[in-house]
Amino acid sequence: MAAPAIPIGQVVDRRASRGLWGDAARRLLRNKPALVGLFFITLFVVAAVFAPVLAPYGPLEGGLAQRLNPPSPAHVMGTDSQGRDEYSRVLFGAQVSLLAGVASVVMGVAIGGTIGALAGGVGGKLDSLLMRVVDVMLAVPGILLAIGIVAFLGRGLPQIMFAVAIVNVPIFARILRGSLLSLRESDYVTASRSLGASGSRILLRHLLPNSLSPLIVAATLALATAIIDVAGLGFLGLGPPDPRTPEWGTMLTDSTKFIRQAPWLLLFPGAAIVISAVGFNLLGDGLRESLDPRMRR
Amino acid sequence: MLRFIVRRLLGVIPVLFGLSIILFAFVHLLPGDPATAILGQHATPERVAAMRDYLGLDDPLWQQYLSYLGNVVRGDLGSSIINNQPVLREFLIRFPATIELTVAAMIFAAGIGIPLGRYAARHAQGWSDGAVTIISLLGISIPVFVLGLTLQYIFAVQLDLLPASGRVDPRAGLEIRSNFVLVDSLLMGRPDLFMDGLSHLILPAIALGSIPLAIITRITRASVLDVSNEDYVRTARAKGLGERRINARHVMRNAWLPVVTVLGLQVGGLLAGAVITETVFGWGGVGRYVVDGIFNRDYFVIQNTILIFAIIFLVVNLLVDILYAVLNPRIRYA
Amino acid sequence: MTAGDLLLSVEDLVVRFRTHEGTIHAVNGVSFQLEEGERLGLVGESGCGKSVTNLAMMRLLPQPAGKIEGGHVMFDAQDLTRLREDELRSIRGRDIAMIFQDPMTSLNPVLTIEEQMIETIMAHREISRDKARVRAVELLKMVGIPQPETRLDNFPHQFSGGMRQRVMIAMALALEPKLMIADEPTTALDVTIQAQVLELLRGLTEQTGSAMILITHDLGVVAGMTNRINVMYAGYIVETATTLDLFATPSHPYTIGLLHSIPRVDALVGEPLIPIEGRPPDMRRAPTFCPFAARCRWRLDVCWQENPPLRPTVEGTRVVMTGTGATHQIACFNPPTEEEAVAGKPLRPGFVSAPPPAGMIDEVGAGRIGSSVDLEGLVGDIQAEEGPLSLAPSAGGLPLPPESEHHGQPGIFHDD
Repeated sequence: MAAPAIPIGQVVDRRASRGLWGDAARRLLRNKPALVGLFFITLFVVAAVFAPVLAPYGPLEGGLAQRLNPPSPAHVMGTDSQGRDEYSRVLFGAQVSLLAGVASVVMGVAIGGTIGALAGGVGGKLDSLLMRVVDVMLAVPGILLAIGIVAFLGRGLPQIMFAVAIVNVPIFARILRGSLLSLRESDYVTASRSLGASGSRILLRHLLPNSLSPLIVAATLALATAIIDVAGLGFLGLGPPDPRTPEWGTMLTDSTKFIRQAPWLLLFPGAAIVISAVGFNLLGDGLRESLDPRMRR
Repeated sequence: MLRFIVRRLLGVIPVLFGLSIILFAFVHLLPGDPATAILGQHATPERVAAMRDYLGLDDPLWQQYLSYLGNVVRGDLGSSIINNQPVLREFLIRFPATIELTVAAMIFAAGIGIPLGRYAARHAQGWSDGAVTIISLLGISIPVFVLGLTLQYIFAVQLDLLPASGRVDPRAGLEIRSNFVLVDSLLMGRPDLFMDGLSHLILPAIALGSIPLAIITRITRASVLDVSNEDYVRTARAKGLGERRINARHVMRNAWLPVVTVLGLQVGGLLAGAVITETVFGWGGVGRYVVDGIFNRDYFVIQNTILIFAIIFLVVNLLVDILYAVLNPRIRYA
Repeated sequence: MTAGDLLLSVEDLVVRFRTHEGTIHAVNGVSFQLEEGERLGLVGESGCGKSVTNLAMMRLLPQPAGKIEGGHVMFDAQDLTRLREDELRSIRGRDIAMIFQDPMTSLNPVLTIEEQMIETIMAHREISRDKARVRAVELLKMVGIPQPETRLDNFPHQFSGGMRQRVMIAMALALEPKLMIADEPTTALDVTIQAQVLELLRGLTEQTGSAMILITHDLGVVAGMTNRINVMYAGYIVETATTLDLFATPSHPYTIGLLHSIPRVDALVGEPLIPIEGRPPDMRRAPTFCPFAARCRWRLDVCWQENPPLRPTVEGTRVVMTGTGATHQIACFNPPTEEEAVAGKPLRPGFVSAPPPAGMIDEVGAGRIGSSVDLEGLVGDIQAEEGPLSLAPSAGGLPLPPESEHHGQPGIFHDD
């Protein structure tokens, strides 16, 4: 539709801008929920990184004499069925969750991003082939796919990461493909091209930032699901092969046997999972709002 | 419309084809000798030989694949290596329990989520809207098993209001006919058993339904808000229509569309979530069957329950797409 | 219905939007009147408040942001700003009908044309479905839709843009309203369709005797369509006159600027267009001085200090608000002379437009954010992509080839 319009005195350049990322950061810092999310994530990361310093005991240290002690000054989160300090295990558990979560999302972005970029960038037959592959992945819902992969590959942290990564692949593939496709046809890319902007400039200035923002948002949100999925696999007994490894999901499975005597074994690892997931979900929503300049409220 | 359905059906074929290749690989490409891997190290040479024969491992790969496809089409989904029971039969026996659970969870999620989302949209920016935002945030952030265990602790252990696990009191003597507790109890003329089954259903349904609840609430709110800002709603108002009519015919008729799509997608999430929920609540459905299969390295069980799950999911999505087309003339007449 | 009776009187209407970015002063005390059967044009750039004025009259402002903060809208001896919602509802669609800019989005995509037309009729008349359907067929025939009986069962997406706008017109005319408000009715349409739709609109409102308010950013559209024109700028009426007067002796610097930015078919070769420099003011500031000062070639020092009221161009004239004898009024402290209006710039020897007072440079030089951005960004929903001020004549002249429109307009595709 050709709008027969001439802008006169029309605003052409937008507000004095610090660039896309500067503006986004400014908006993010004004977004209270996102800051709360950032705070939770910081808690989580600090716990993981400084676990050896912060933890009063080793993750495997304990004895049956200390078994199922309720929270006390000596053991702020009590002890588990093996007499190990729950607080220390929650801290060390953050390492496993952080590592597995980040690694699986990175893998998912790498695999999904490649698929999406090839599909959206090359198009044609390759596009339809790759999208059928993605459809197949989507046909097996969520954690069931991860369960199947772990069942096939065997138990182990790398297998878990890979399994959770595959679950996220379709999301990233679709995002990248979608934004590449829509941007290739969008008016402002056509406009830049007509003004003689080079291909690489268009890619750098327009395509990349615009495909990156949804990718970053999705990756942040995927971190929340990844942590939940890793814990879920652990809860089903498909966690790290050494059952003594402090993994939040596995710790919860142990707690089920003692739910009457030791509810704190449910409370603390459960809270750890929820708080880190809330953190990434809040940050992801905040990023979505601040990275998309069109997004209001 | 018919053309749309046919086209949509044809679209499912490549997905099933791709899935069958992967699931075929799942068993036939097990590391080492697949037959030994399936049966375990201690299997007798005769059993291994029989398994090799069943899988056709000595044939070329493509022939193995064709015979696998043939078996699937004939309804032969293999047998458990633990108790030699056919997978399909075992699956069907347990399936009613899973249907009961997922349907209850869906009723919970949609029954609360849709009105809640509409309410939040109508009172956008008020406190209720904030409350809905928090509910949906918690909904997607609390894993099924954490919520399930928490509900168990509060309502079963502490308050002793509801049973902690199982589908029905085992001492009550429920006769299994359809294996739907709620149906069988009524068939027996035992409303007390019906209530008992219902009380067993509440906690697992809430645990399983919490994520869909969050997502449905969110999408309903967003959809109603979006549609409320559409030009045609303003047109309807400018025409002098009453608010009730505007809501029902102009807002909701359009706002349903994304909600319906999301409802369909949630079925997949519910099936996957059922695997974990059934573990938490000792619910004897297909989810437990899969998990047990994994621990027993019962490859045919895993392979084929995944296949059945995927087919169910595809069929549900197909139905949802058709429903979508019925609701959306732009698709129907495309 | 006889011409001459007062139908509508808008008195000192003030509309503001409360948004996250601050309060937007969208309409700042607008007054005008309309006689029965009269056709009034409301002209101005995007975001000048012309759409908001009309949405406010119908109390259809986007909620909860938009609010009428002052003034009255008297229609048929009732104050629309004070009516109960249900009383207002019986006026909407029956006495006052609206046509919106984008026929693509103004019709409900999931309902058939029949459903949408019939519900309008049945909302206001005790009438059977069958009779309402007969009326709908009649209306579609009237607006020139072929095979109306079968087309009634179609959905909006099965119509072209021009046809949809005809459906909108048919729907608006269904109850023979006393007033028809057409908000940029042809902006979203192809140029060749625009003239057809305008012609239809004029013909049909003449038949029903409906008065009309035509909102547009296109002076070419109002020229042949209206009896009278209000030029709006930054939420004010800055010039009002009969259509003849306005085109014969445009008197406000803004109107003059608008006319000089129109490429005329009869222009001498090489005769330059004189664009209006700068951009509309930031509507988030409460207006304290002439809103057009920053862009005006005629501005005096006083223009930076006070907001000029609307006054007759000939001093001492008794003000007539409506009809063919309506008084020509402008809001300007330093009205250009007729020669200057023709030239498009001040001709007084030694005249220099007054520089902004110290401390106001920032606001004037770049003006921070133009109101068009504000309103489209924040209130975008209500005025759905009005588009920049178009000066290509649509009804009254030959359309320009699209390429030429961009000549001499660097920055359309501005790369930040």
